[in-house]
Amino acid sequence: MKRIIVEYEKCDGCKNCSAACMQAHRKTQGTIYDLDLTDPENESRNFILKDAKGQYKPLFCRHCDDPECVKSCMSGALYKDPESGHVLYDETRCGSCFMCVMNCPFGVLKPDTATKTKVIKCDFCADAGNEPSCVASCPKKAIYVEEV
Amino acid sequence: MNQCYSCTTCKSADKPLQEFIAGLPMETSHHRVESQSTKCAFGLQGVCCRLCSNGPCRITPESPRGICGASADTIVVRNLLRAVASGSGCYIHVVENTALNVKNTAKTKGQIKGIGTLNRLAALFGIEEEDVHKRAEAVADAVLKDLYLPEYEKMALTEKLAYKPRYDKWKELGLLPGGAKSEVFHGVVKCSTNLNSDPVNMLLDCLKLGISTGIYGLVLTNLLNDVVLGEPEIRFAPVGLRVIDPDYINIMITGHQHSMFTFLQNRLTDQDVKEKARKAGAKGFKLVGCTCVGQDLQLRGAHYTEIFDGHAGNNYTSEAILATGGIDAVISEFNCTLPGIEPICDELKIKQICIDNVAKKANAQLKEFDFENRPAVTEEIIDEILEAYKARRGSVPMNLLKEHGNDATLTGVSETSLKNFLGGTWQPLIDLIVSGDIKGVAGVVGCSNLTAGGHDVLTVDLVKELIARDIIVLTAGCSSGGIENCGLMTKEAAKLAGPKLRAVCEKLGIPPVLNFGPCLAIGRLEIVATELAEALHVDLPELPLVLSAAQWLEEQALADGCYGLALGLPLHLGLPPFVTGSKTAVQVLTQDMKELTGGQVIINSDAKASADILEQIILEKRQGLHI
Amino acid sequence: MKYVIVGAGVAGIQAARAIREQDQTGEILMISADVHVHSRCMLHKFISGERDEAGLDFTERDFFDKYRINWKKGLRVTAVLPDKKEIRLDSGETLSYDKLLLANGADSFIPPVGQLREASNVYGLRNLSDAQAIVKEAETAKRVLVIGSGLVGLDAAYGLIERGKKLTVVEMADRILPVQLDAHAAKAYEDLFEKAGVRFVLERKASEAVCQPDGKIHKVILDNGEEIPCDLIIVAAGVRSSLACLESSGIDCQRGVTVDSCMRTSAADVYAAGDVTALSGIWPNAADQGRIAGKNMCGLTARYTDTYAIKNTINFFGLVTLCVGRIQKEEGDQVYIREDQRQYKRILVKDGRVEGILFQGNIAGAGIWQYLIKNQIDVSGIDKDIFDINYGDFYQVGDRGKYEWAV
Repeated sequence: MKRIIVEYEKCDGCKNCSAACMQAHRKTQGTIYDLDLTDPENESRNFILKDAKGQYKPLFCRHCDDPECVKSCMSGALYKDPESGHVLYDETRCGSCFMCVMNCPFGVLKPDTATKTKVIKCDFCADAGNEPSCVASCPKKAIYVEEV
Repeated sequence: MNQCYSCTTCKSADKPLQEFIAGLPMETSHHRVESQSTKCAFGLQGVCCRLCSNGPCRITPESPRGICGASADTIVVRNLLRAVASGSGCYIHVVENTALNVKNTAKTKGQIKGIGTLNRLAALFGIEEEDVHKRAEAVADAVLKDLYLPEYEKMALTEKLAYKPRYDKWKELGLLPGGAKSEVFHGVVKCSTNLNSDPVNMLLDCLKLGISTGIYGLVLTNLLNDVVLGEPEIRFAPVGLRVIDPDYINIMITGHQHSMFTFLQNRLTDQDVKEKARKAGAKGFKLVGCTCVGQDLQLRGAHYTEIFDGHAGNNYTSEAILATGGIDAVISEFNCTLPGIEPICDELKIKQICIDNVAKKANAQLKEFDFENRPAVTEEIIDEILEAYKARRGSVPMNLLKEHGNDATLTGVSETSLKNFLGGTWQPLIDLIVSGDIKGVAGVVGCSNLTAGGHDVLTVDLVKELIARDIIVLTAGCSSGGIENCGLMTKEAAKLAGPKLRAVCEKLGIPPVLNFGPCLAIGRLEIVATELAEALHVDLPELPLVLSAAQWLEEQALADGCYGLALGLPLHLGLPPFVTGSKTAVQVLTQDMKELTGGQVIINSDAKASADILEQIILEKRQGLHI
Repeated sequence: MKYVIVGAGVAGIQAARAIREQDQTGEILMISADVHVHSRCMLHKFISGERDEAGLDFTERDFFDKYRINWKKGLRVTAVLPDKKEIRLDSGETLSYDKLLLANGADSFIPPVGQLREASNVYGLRNLSDAQAIVKEAETAKRVLVIGSGLVGLDAAYGLIERGKKLTVVEMADRILPVQLDAHAAKAYEDLFEKAGVRFVLERKASEAVCQPDGKIHKVILDNGEEIPCDLIIVAAGVRSSLACLESSGIDCQRGVTVDSCMRTSAADVYAAGDVTALSGIWPNAADQGRIAGKNMCGLTARYTDTYAIKNTINFFGLVTLCVGRIQKEEGDQVYIREDQRQYKRILVKDGRVEGILFQGNIAGAGIWQYLIKNQIDVSGIDKDIFDINYGDFYQVGDRGKYEWAV
């Protein structure tokens, strides 16, 4: 499967990956110029964390080999796609219990800010042919896709 | 493997140039577009604030305000005002130097080449001096006096130069500028940390800066230059890399202040200097045009047939011009002199000389060209360039592109030369517009950039779309450099126009795109527009006239754009000016401005869609005029 | 090899999937009283009418075909005979097995108060069949009494709000959700339910309930004498593992079927997973147990080690809460609270280790806390406000780009 590899030492915290993720998952048509950066509907699926020393630690869904989120999903909305190996999410099946949020040991998942009815989850930009927008947008090449 | 630096150069509307650059063994800006293609979205939208140590603050759904509480609106418009103030400062610097040059020329009884323009200005300013030099000095003084006024004193010449209905509108909106330099100061203060937070208030300042920039930085700079440098005359001239003649010692000129080096320019054709060149093995000296100052020389080329080889290309052609190996020195006095030329100059042993310290390049020699010392400095510069020529010729390979560009681009168009061409009156043009043979007028102006589709791609595509719709295009700025190298200013380009415009062009023997020269000449376009409006007894926003700075590049362009908006004209931009993060800014610039000044910003990076929008506006304005 | 799985809840389903992944040829037979595979966690959505039976299914559409499973539904196991390796069904049928998994869950516990156990309008909420019966009864019932305000009781109430019923919830404790929440967090839900028209009667229990001639209870009398009129009663007083079928099997049972870490019971080739083991009542653990049992049934050795089960998420009216670990404050605890308009967060720390968290309103990225709590990780050395601790403080990228814990 393909995974986004992170070299956190290279991260400058510019959040371009987050903006690219927002753009990739917005519901409206448009360009990065008119992406509403204040609209919670457009929230990012990746995050730039900081440790106590101020070092940036990019948090990207691992699409784990043995995904805790899938194991905890009581509706069948989260599943590991047998073809791509990616953990995908069928919003229509989700029961909004958020046990996946509870169980993701890395804290990647969150309920959507606007409605608290769905999970904000990386889909590896499946609609864009599994070419993650975040990776394309990283000016430091701190994230890249590898076959693992 | 081959000798190319890399194969990832950006597109150019100028295909031979694109191929030439792709084949170069050195890096140019065209190579760097790819590696800079990841743009910070916060920067693009203008919502990154670095005005205090709490920052940088960026706007996201989780952080809709900066630490200080600044909203996206405040952050965006503050950044915009900074840019506009800075851009205005650049143009005001240019007009200040230009006026000083007129004054000094007059005081030293130098040559006044544009007596017609001098008289026109003197009449406008109410100056009645018998002596031509005293008249010129008084004109220059009147301009300088206004530039140096405090912010709270309105400049006197605004009313004399502005079209009356516009002046009244500006007065009504409180947009009349105080001293132009003080307005820049005021703008810079206003957008500093935790001062103004009112987006609309700051946008009005942008308009005010646009007015002082336009009337002084643009209109007056042109006219003052005409006084001492001569008036433009319509003619055909060669353009592109073909103009470089390796038999001469070639000096590429970059910047915006032609008047700064005319002394040097004249000296280069003196017999003793030509003799020096001959001794070094060259036929003499030549100036090769690049950027807006090259456009300026091209525009007045009728006066400089001996020294000026022609315009080789715009700002993003400068690296290619140097890479031909045929250039021995670069004399720069302002922007748009790219820092990227420095390593190329080093590699090809090209001497870099700056004559204005505001544009001092890192590895250039600064030779400040003040009026008193200019004879001595000129001799120093000539000797340095001769040394460079001797040191490099023979050891540096030539990589000329003689087939690039064309031999007969129409140039020398100004508000005066064009009117004279039409028989001393605008009536023939008005008749053509009324009859619909010319549907409307589009000013495609401003810069060249590499990101709106590539080098000049959007500009050239848009021009083609517009002329195909029978809209005549007037150009000014680096956009002209790209458009002319692509052949759109030759007579043959008439066949790319729509049938009506084509017929007009073929009858008059002109191209469908008329080049007014440097970006400063946006001021000349405004004079044309004003005179047309006067003839029709309407205000500017009613004319079937649109502006496009399709590939605007920098802060000066934003100040120009604000002038266009203050004039009440529709202004198309290919890329947004880092404002889309503010809903208020977008609303005011693209919608509310129509009510305010009559202007509006249109942002669209697609040539066809942009042309559709601009054509629609022209049709609506025609309807408004019942034509 | 013939695998028989009793129960089609998450433990049974996950076991079947695990078996098929290991054994391509064996016969898998599932037997369940349930006639629809369904997620118990979504029964309230059925009651409210938001989803139909099919909408509760948590398996992929073609699950039984895809994994080649024979499913006998609507049948109960009446006896397990480990000596003969047989089970008996309520249809009278006897089936043999090579490996047997007991994943038949638990039953609602109806306390012996008055005639609650006899009345025809008293329901637990455990299975889809319960929810179906409640919906049917609710067609005529106007007043509903819910006994118990744990997650199940509130689920029932939440579902019935949508049906416009007049709801009363009786709770013995001084707050709702007493196991999961502190008083402050509970109050937030009490307010939301009350705003929606639900009446809570706290610190009370039912003491008398008498069937009327129609076989239904129409009022319940509380321990303070208050009478609650009702047409429908839902009892949410906990569950008991379904052990009835094991009575004469000789398989060791306590509260639930006794299992070792490989989910083996005391009888050879008999395994158990899910609520029937009484190990934990929560979904992810039941799923895990099922998977582990399945693997062991195929001859692999897998152990149920991630036994941590003191964790819950709650979502009513869009107010989301996550609680992990201990909620009650104890001597020596440091209590950290962060509260604002949109969130209430409380963390209990003892000797530098996080004992429990309660996050309400904002649980974004809160998954790390379960890891910190169950692994007893010392966080005292992290120079940060405790609420700002995140995975970045334990960040380590390992083999194949996997995240690991640097602790």
